[in-house]
Amino acid sequence: MRIRSIITLVLAVLLSLVAAVHRWGDSSHAIGLMSLNGGKARHPSFLESGWDRYAQITTARVLPPYRGDVRVVLEGDPPLDYDIRFSKPVVDLGLRRLPDFRDDILYGIQPGDRLALWVLMRSFPTDPVCGMSVREGDLSHPYQGKIFFFCGDGCLASFRAEPGRYKDKDSPRGKYNLAFYDTRSGKSVLKVPLIFKGKEDSHASGGHH
Amino acid sequence: MHRADITKPAFPGSRRYWIMALAMVLFLPPLSFLFQFTGDSNFCGTWCPRMFFVWRKGATMDAYFMGYMRSYMGAILVFGILLTTFFFGRYWCSHLCPIGGTMEMGSRLVPRFLKINYAKIPAPAFRYGYLSVYFGAAALGLGSLCCSYCNFATIPRIFGAPFSGADLAYFLRTAGLINLGLVLLLGIFAKGGRAYCNLLCPIGAMDGLANRAGARWGRRVSVHPAKCNGCGDCVDGCPAWAIDLTDKTARIDALSCMPCGYCETACARGAIGYGKSLLPISAPRGKAVYEKG
Repeated sequence: MRIRSIITLVLAVLLSLVAAVHRWGDSSHAIGLMSLNGGKARHPSFLESGWDRYAQITTARVLPPYRGDVRVVLEGDPPLDYDIRFSKPVVDLGLRRLPDFRDDILYGIQPGDRLALWVLMRSFPTDPVCGMSVREGDLSHPYQGKIFFFCGDGCLASFRAEPGRYKDKDSPRGKYNLAFYDTRSGKSVLKVPLIFKGKEDSHASGGHH
Repeated sequence: MHRADITKPAFPGSRRYWIMALAMVLFLPPLSFLFQFTGDSNFCGTWCPRMFFVWRKGATMDAYFMGYMRSYMGAILVFGILLTTFFFGRYWCSHLCPIGGTMEMGSRLVPRFLKINYAKIPAPAFRYGYLSVYFGAAALGLGSLCCSYCNFATIPRIFGAPFSGADLAYFLRTAGLINLGLVLLLGIFAKGGRAYCNLLCPIGAMDGLANRAGARWGRRVSVHPAKCNGCGDCVDGCPAWAIDLTDKTARIDALSCMPCGYCETACARGAIGYGKSLLPISAPRGKAVYEKG
């Protein structure tokens, strides 16, 4: 019995360690403070390039004296197809006033509010050589069971010459922002950086809870 | 009166499923009633019971206690659970927890032949191995288990997903699907419905320690060794896998036991009851002598 317990303990530690250390690159979490002076994100939100879909959750607290309506936009190039969802009770019993969310605008934000937004993202096909956003049906080339799309013959030729160099670069890379703008003044009240990294450098990333 | 002469079940064992159902209505969508008092809709944020107490590498004292402020309702909940457990046993886990309650009630809807029996796993060894990494990985800066594998995030969103796009979004990613799989495999499709609670819940693990620490002073479920004939009827159905037979006498592990009342009902000889603890004053092999504590 004691040996079985010791083996179980060691197994539990190893399994838990793997689970704690490994990050699934298709989702991440960021925390921010929304304020009149531009707000502050506690840390960037890292995502691993190469997935078809991504999910990101941003939670933010509103600092006084800011109040107003806020437009939420995902900024970055190439553009991503995205859908923002606001977390609130299914049945609002009216015990506390909550902001409303319609057409990517948060209405009636007040100091002390705590906001939770889910951003679902889907990448358009990207030319792995120049990084331009392309459409399915454009110039294409199969490689290792996957179809790659290109903006023109030049990029296709470069890919054919060195496919190993480009094969992991057909997904979004670099910095995007989940930006919050006051609808009246147009001023930014919070920007949460979303950084898409390749698999090789995505493990040394923050935003892990 | 000898404790084992008390034959009434642990309070209020006979109505446990009704209490669990009520807790589910209060905590879970679509109502999320209790969360709405603080402007929340689930256990995340103000009510988070899993993250505020974890020390992260590089955190200052201010940052650490800021976590308590941010999740003040979660902190009140966890300290309330540990305090009541110390004196009265793990009633939060057995009667009130909407997370464990959902999995246990869900498992009752699954046909017996589909259920997986995990009871052979030495639960305390697994649970405290997991808990050590839960604290240690964050303290050493290796990673975290707090949010990534959270039962308190998953279960409410299962209830909310049919109504809320935000709750549905939780499952549209790998970590969400893994959490759903864990709840199904270790909860709904587990015999007794409590394998998740027994193996992977950090609140349950800390609650087990409080249960063990307060066993000398508080009220607990225990076995009267003179009445126990070692039939084992109480062992098989214990959802917490807390009972084993040693020298033909049932023995309850305080690290795992929650006062669900199953064993009291199962024992035809009335050898198991709930009350002020009986303390072994000497325990030569197979002949524990008990006195009233």
